[in-house]
Amino acid sequence: MRIDVDALKCIGCMACEMACGYHRDDAFALLASCIVVYRAREKKDYFGVVVKEEESLTIARPEGVEIKRIGVAEEAGDSGQKKEADASAKPMLLREPCDLCSDMKYGPMCVKICPVNAISLQDEGE
Amino acid sequence: MNLYHSYATINQKLAQGVELHYGEEEASVLPRDPRPLRIPRIGVYAGTGTSHSWLWFAELFDRMSFHEILFMTEDMVRDGFLESLDVFAMSGGDTIRIAEWLGQEGGRAIESFIREGGLYIGSCAGAYLPLKSSKQHLDRFNFVDIKIANLSKTRPEAKRMGRKASTNYGCDFVYHPVREDVCLRTTGKEPFTGFEYFRAPLYGGPSMVTSRDSDVLAYYDGFTEKTLFLVEESLAEETLLGKVAAARTAMGDGHLYLFGPHFEHPLFPIANHLVAAAIFWDMKKGRKNWKSLDSESILEGPAKEKLVRDIKREISNSRIVAVGLEAIPVQWIIGCKTYEPEKIRVFLEAIWKRINTLERSRSVCAQSETCEEVVVTASRVTRLLRQMKSRMDDHSDTQDLAWDLFDSLRRLAMIFLQIYFDSFGRSLDS
Amino acid sequence: MDYLSSNKILIVDLNTGETSEDALDDDLVSQKIGGVGITSSLYETYKDRDPVILGTGLLTGTLFPASALSVISAKSPRTGYLTHSPFTLKAGMELKYTGFDYVVILGRSENPVFLWLHDGVADILDAAELWGKDVWNTTDLLRKSMGDDLIQTLVIGPAGEEGSDLAQVCVNYWANGDCWGFGKVLGEKNLKAVALRGMGLLEISDAEDFVDQCFEIFEAIKGSALEGKRGVEDILIALGESDAREWLAPVVHRHSACYNTPYPTNTFIYLNEDPTTLTEPAEPEPGFMITDIGALLALKKSGLSAADAGHVLRACARRGVDPAAVAEIIGKTGQKDPKAIEQSLEGLQGTVAVPQGAKFSSWVPQNPIFGDFGLSGESSLRDWWVRRQAVAYLFGIHPIFANMSPELSEEVILEMVNKGTGLDLSQETLDQVIEDICS
Repeated sequence: MRIDVDALKCIGCMACEMACGYHRDDAFALLASCIVVYRAREKKDYFGVVVKEEESLTIARPEGVEIKRIGVAEEAGDSGQKKEADASAKPMLLREPCDLCSDMKYGPMCVKICPVNAISLQDEGE
Repeated sequence: MNLYHSYATINQKLAQGVELHYGEEEASVLPRDPRPLRIPRIGVYAGTGTSHSWLWFAELFDRMSFHEILFMTEDMVRDGFLESLDVFAMSGGDTIRIAEWLGQEGGRAIESFIREGGLYIGSCAGAYLPLKSSKQHLDRFNFVDIKIANLSKTRPEAKRMGRKASTNYGCDFVYHPVREDVCLRTTGKEPFTGFEYFRAPLYGGPSMVTSRDSDVLAYYDGFTEKTLFLVEESLAEETLLGKVAAARTAMGDGHLYLFGPHFEHPLFPIANHLVAAAIFWDMKKGRKNWKSLDSESILEGPAKEKLVRDIKREISNSRIVAVGLEAIPVQWIIGCKTYEPEKIRVFLEAIWKRINTLERSRSVCAQSETCEEVVVTASRVTRLLRQMKSRMDDHSDTQDLAWDLFDSLRRLAMIFLQIYFDSFGRSLDS
Repeated sequence: MDYLSSNKILIVDLNTGETSEDALDDDLVSQKIGGVGITSSLYETYKDRDPVILGTGLLTGTLFPASALSVISAKSPRTGYLTHSPFTLKAGMELKYTGFDYVVILGRSENPVFLWLHDGVADILDAAELWGKDVWNTTDLLRKSMGDDLIQTLVIGPAGEEGSDLAQVCVNYWANGDCWGFGKVLGEKNLKAVALRGMGLLEISDAEDFVDQCFEIFEAIKGSALEGKRGVEDILIALGESDAREWLAPVVHRHSACYNTPYPTNTFIYLNEDPTTLTEPAEPEPGFMITDIGALLALKKSGLSAADAGHVLRACARRGVDPAAVAEIIGKTGQKDPKAIEQSLEGLQGTVAVPQGAKFSSWVPQNPIFGDFGLSGESSLRDWWVRRQAVAYLFGIHPIFANMSPELSEEVILEMVNKGTGLDLSQETLDQVIEDICS
């Protein structure tokens, strides 16, 4: 199972980020969340959500979701040459990867709290 | 049993002047020996070429209340600062660069420190450094006859993380079959008693083949669910399993402990315990207690508050920029090591998490020039980080800033941690 | 205060350039609760020194729904008495995490300065390069110079520097709830901006219970009358503007919410970019985020198109002038040309109606939105609005959302605050504090 985000539904409220922060720190704080609302393009109204997982980084942008493998060489292309891993080889290094809130009775807290159901739990294969 | 608490108790009792013996009462975590225990004075190498892993030694020593710590540059090694130490800890980084900057003089200083009874602890790059080698720069550190098992004439094909899977080693390649946690098995030789199996993380450290001159303390025994294979699993097994992960070698009156994996990594308490056990077991014998700090270096009241506030201001400023850089896909090559923006925070967090302690303490120990240096260096880090962010926004190159930044971060962490440990030590003494 | 608090009141003396700190005493919280309860009390303590006070609520920055609000309290140049302005977006939450619950700004700086609050550190810094800049450039410069795009700012523009009664304290780039001329107050202090960033941590007294109940309230809100509704257009429809959706449709890009607020009260419109664009636009300043429903409504009623209204609102925000006041004054002239309105902003003067004795910002619509609060009669509506705003400003709840969500009842709020803080605040205390701040 993994977290899936529909960035077009997202309203950028950061409830998911704070819920995840609570899961990590047992207090209200944002620095340890593995789900982060990307909001650095404020004047452009361009925002989305990034989720750090064990081996990948899910970047949910309004135009679509991209999953980057962390530190894994990309598949061989037509040239047969393997490319080096993406430069963000260890994104959000100091944050723990998503554990689907395994020790919480609610299940993934970000899914539970999202007021517009932009976050859901999906099977790996989907 | 909380291993950190056990060692902290030993160190605190010793600081209070309580006489303790190996294996007895509060020191039962250590093997039995009739010698009395003494507070070790430990040098942690943080000179040019080191990565961030020396901070793990700092973390370990902090948790275990080892408080007579000296953070050292290559200049300090060359200038004879090792003479007053019992232990010299060298962690990871770029081995050749470390050797180059220590130079012939540094090599000699380390050698005579060990021969005169000192204890050298090397993990990862710190373990490669004293191995026999004819390579330029490394040839000044031919202390130990141990062979590197993860050495190849040809570069093995990397499954992932190509840049981290191997590095040039003269005409050969040192390759790193796996990263992250590996399983280790102890041989039961003192002082590695009490635990047969444990884990430690491997980030490029050696797999070793020892000669009769060395005692094997632990072997690579297996992989874990967290092991990341950088080469084919069969090659990883062949290179690591059954090979030496930790060795103890005598040299003159002293000893070297060489660890392939990072035994000092803060998430591995048993490995940490073995580091501490090694320190107490083989630290230099017979040294007198070192001189206490003079009263002029004690800051209290408004002067202390100003210093801590000035440091906090700059670390907060830097941290704010560094967190913003986390998601930016950029990396820098410094020497043969790859640095990502996240590493900036590793240095900053090592400082940030200790500022509260200094805020709460009644006094801080620092010479006036150190006070000035720590604030100036912290301001420099902030300025470099802001410049870096600005250039990234403009899609400009930041490689030149990265050199300067990581060097400044290293120096900042060194100076700050020296103040922290000196202050902490003083509060224990009083 | 150990919980839901940084336990710090910052005192900033602009005359001397010095700062000092007081602890936030449990007794003060037990008597005055927080938010405007405490900013009013601090105002009384320091009123001889012309204080501007920033304050957080006990719930600000928590997981309690809509905990987005912080407040500015000061004497309004428009009323001559103490009034309160809300600020939301992410700035209300950010103040809480700077390490200060309250910030008392006293006196006047000799030269332009800005206040930089970060991780429990307060710096008064030179603002010579910022002075004269509009709100947008000021925020851009602050973020650029300090190297972080997430720094939140309370900023004044040229209107505040020039001492206009219509000057507003804006949040980042956008209008917010200041309808009291606080922009002028900051301008008189030579205080160009307050920049906020913090990575602090708030401890919770009964954490598990608090969070459990937050989830329950969120669930109740999800199934309430506001389900499926979005942005300013649905608020306008609820306020009787049935054609609001069609009016806004040509320019609407996306809706967004203030911190942890279950309803997106803000709507971004694209003015120089195709609003259906989903990828990051090349245009650095493609539009404007509408945060002031009253101003938008007034411009609509004046006959402006949504795009023209957007241009006017953007010009107001850049200049740091209260858009609702502008809309009211311009409305009386019949001017509909956005360029002409924009040009008239410099030196704009005019009288804006303020209800007798008003203390809370008219930025929040005067009626319940979506939710049924069981009201009847005009006088009851006014009393309800004042009390509802008082509660929002006391505890740190988004004041527009407070008027949407009967689920956030006083009983629920008190119960949650007591769980979160370990205090034992009663309904009687709340009644007394509301009476005090409204009198």
